[in-house]
Amino acid sequence: MATLITLKRRIRTARNVSKTTKAMQMISASKLKRAQERAVASKPYVERLEIISKNLSHKIDNIEQSDYMKKPDVNAKLIVVMSPDKGLCGGLITNLTREVLRADSGKLYFITVGKKAESIVTSTGKDLIASFPFGSSLPLYDTVYPIQNIIDEYFLGKKVSEVQIITTKFVSVFSQNVQNTTLLPINIEMEQKSSGVTLFEPVVDEILPDILQHYIEMLIYQNLLESYASEQAARMIAMKNATDNALDIIDALQLEYNKTRQEKITNELLDIGGGLQKAYA
Amino acid sequence: MKLFLEIITPIKIVLQEEVDEITIPTSEGEISILPNHVNLLTKITPGEMVIKHNGKIEPFAVLGGFLEVINNRVNILADHAIRASDIEIAKAQEAEERARHAMRNKQSENDFRLADADLKKALLELKVARRHRSVKS
Repeated sequence: MATLITLKRRIRTARNVSKTTKAMQMISASKLKRAQERAVASKPYVERLEIISKNLSHKIDNIEQSDYMKKPDVNAKLIVVMSPDKGLCGGLITNLTREVLRADSGKLYFITVGKKAESIVTSTGKDLIASFPFGSSLPLYDTVYPIQNIIDEYFLGKKVSEVQIITTKFVSVFSQNVQNTTLLPINIEMEQKSSGVTLFEPVVDEILPDILQHYIEMLIYQNLLESYASEQAARMIAMKNATDNALDIIDALQLEYNKTRQEKITNELLDIGGGLQKAYA
Repeated sequence: MKLFLEIITPIKIVLQEEVDEITIPTSEGEISILPNHVNLLTKITPGEMVIKHNGKIEPFAVLGGFLEVINNRVNILADHAIRASDIEIAKAQEAEERARHAMRNKQSENDFRLADADLKKALLELKVARRHRSVKS
């Protein structure tokens, strides 16, 4: 049986761990609240923008189609991976890694946002063309521009036939799903031709690229926001579990400590009792 | 016959209600939209938007974005939109000051651009708020 001193040390260690994880849990909880608000708030905007882009594409002829909608004939893909900079967020990064590795054959180029994504891609020896830090606060809209520039360069330059985003969707605080969405070419289901004429001011050729570009920007940003919210939620839950485990360990160790101490006292009493008996005999 | 107007920004849904008339600055000049307007898609430029409803006039400040009219539904997707009566002049002035300050001692191209955007937003809010106030008093 362990001695009292070692038990005491182990209790202290467990207690320190629980304090740290508790603090991290609380930080994530407060960050999560803001992140969740932002991710939810911008959703209607993105959805409406999507509807407009799709409606718009019904009304144009093939000739007027933007380059964003055409699929270049190359066997290559550009994949944008978004991950947190830091670990300690449960299975989030493992799940991301699995999705990245599942990516199929053909030439693949990668853009990463977040240190973890960078290390996934570099360690598997894939072709990394750019990597950006994710940061530990709410992502800024400015992060989007350099990413979009590279996407434009590769997609419009006809180096890749598709652009995908691998990121974690924020479903709820308890569940975040890894999702692989196709960003480009913009996918248009020809559901129904909406009736009536539509006036474009200025002409379609000018307004279409603007809208599509804005749509892509917003999509990337929305994904960043959701990725951030997922990270915080995952970390909060992971740290909550860690705190609970640490508290369980403390309980068990404390029990053992008390038992050992009592045993020691009992033994000492027995010793004294035995000694006395001998003296009076 | 009324128009159903929806103003959405990336931060929140600013407005969702029925209105009679909308006057808004676009890339082709200022336009007014009345019920049964032809379907339209256009770009909004920064400026003052005015909504008329039951004889009441309500001004808004809008920063660029897109405007779509489909069968008497008007969707406005704006980068930023605020009701003139919600603009806090003191806050906007402060923002203007801060942006000017940031532009004077700019750290990088990027900072400058951000400050410039903030400044434009603050100036627009002030302009709309002041005009609105002088109309009222």
